[in-house]
Amino acid sequence: MRTLSISAALVCLALLSSVHAEEKLSMSDADKAMYAELLENNPAEMEVGEGEQLFNSLIGSAAYAKMLGVKEKDLPKTIAGFPRYVEPAKKVVTLSQSLQMALANQGKEVSKLESPEIIKMTAYIKSLANGQKTSIDVKANAHMKEMMALGQQVFEERRGGRGLSCNNCHSADIVGQRLRMQPLPDLGAKVTAAAGTWPAYRMTQGQMVTLDKRMQQCMENALLAKIPLGSREMVALEVYVTNKTKGNAIQIPGLKR
Amino acid sequence: MAEMKTLIKIKPKDYKAGDIVKIDFMAMHPMETGMRKNKDTGELIPANYIDEVKFSFNDKLITKMVIWESLSVNPLMSISFKVPGAGTLKVVAKDNKGQSVESTTQITPKG
Amino acid sequence: MERRSFLKGFGAAAACAIAIPQVVSAADEKKNGGPNEMSYETAVSAITGGKALVASAKVKMEAPEIAENGAVVPVKITVDSPMSEKDYVKAIHVLASKNGNVRCANIYLTPANGEAYFGTRIKLGGTQDVVAIAEMSDGTFLSTKQNVKVTIGGCG
Repeated sequence: MRTLSISAALVCLALLSSVHAEEKLSMSDADKAMYAELLENNPAEMEVGEGEQLFNSLIGSAAYAKMLGVKEKDLPKTIAGFPRYVEPAKKVVTLSQSLQMALANQGKEVSKLESPEIIKMTAYIKSLANGQKTSIDVKANAHMKEMMALGQQVFEERRGGRGLSCNNCHSADIVGQRLRMQPLPDLGAKVTAAAGTWPAYRMTQGQMVTLDKRMQQCMENALLAKIPLGSREMVALEVYVTNKTKGNAIQIPGLKR
Repeated sequence: MAEMKTLIKIKPKDYKAGDIVKIDFMAMHPMETGMRKNKDTGELIPANYIDEVKFSFNDKLITKMVIWESLSVNPLMSISFKVPGAGTLKVVAKDNKGQSVESTTQITPKG
Repeated sequence: MERRSFLKGFGAAAACAIAIPQVVSAADEKKNGGPNEMSYETAVSAITGGKALVASAKVKMEAPEIAENGAVVPVKITVDSPMSEKDYVKAIHVLASKNGNVRCANIYLTPANGEAYFGTRIKLGGTQDVVAIAEMSDGTFLSTKQNVKVTIGGCG
């Protein structure tokens, strides 16, 4: 009897402490507001500015629009629809890859996808679509349909030593759960606005990071082999993840933990 | 070393003489503490941080900041300023290695 | 013309009777190569010169109770003051009580600021108190502090 009451008391204590811990774990609305306010002075604005200089000196919007086969004034709309099928490449490409193509067209040295030049220029041209909605069209053609299907497969495939898939931590089912002390985001949620807010400044890294690079960092931490940047699988993953937030506003540069 | 990138913002955008505005100053700087190790070599990365920032208006010093490595990477420094009239706001930031950058913006009160 | 600009310059100098001290104080000292280690007690006495530190509601600090990462912690400090020639805040000092070098920034203000305010973002090595010390023109030192819990983030 006595043991029972003690264990009951212990359970009570455990419950209480878990409630208490929950309180401590979550940021207050005031705290969240302070972090939201950081967006007003996003250090990545300086990098976007550098991206603008680079883009204008290396490529220029006239040449870029011509390569994509659109009018210059339609660039924001076109950019909001990436990744998309691009005729000269004969495949679905990301915004960063389209810049590599444009560099090659201009006879310029083609920087790597992870180079600061490409990251800054990607952020700059995507910022031209700020205020537009993410308008990826995964049914636009057979190429897009194929990449969407592949992207879903990559997203859901369990791999690595722990048999984890992207879906394990980033589906609607996990909302409210935490990894260490960080709430796990549903990549399809309106508030997450995932795809429309990358490239983003990562506070913990003190630098701007692209969506594909961020996904690689996620894979690394989940003990999955990193899918190479620019590979068909990585582009497909970007297609799939971007489509989850179709219709959300594009706000570049984003600001993340 | 490439020149330090900086950004000055005056908030709000529209102001009159006599108003108190906020001056937000940001600089691209690694703010190395000297306590971090290079992951490949295991060697300490030497401290490299902005150590002084001076704000002046029409060449008159209004605020001087002595800064240490504890400010975040690409730091933000924000102060208030009572707009006396039109003029030039100058911010000079210097780091512990002697690199320095001067940024200016025009203060243009309306009315 | 020459004379006018001279007078103007003189006037500016006269109005600028309140000058920011150009002498490097103990509180401002740093080692060239770093790291600049300094404990909380040492830093406080370097700032106050041994004078009393008075906790005061005049000094207000806005910082998160829970920081989502230790790399970027927003901190805003405001001090109630008319910021007049006679009564103003000479300096705002920001300290992170448990960082290796607790000193973050010494901000030397003038009445031209119109308001005693400093906003920044700091690095915190772990959960600790962030302390703000305001050096008033009457020679007193007012302070406030806030505990900031630094969380360990999720994936990468």
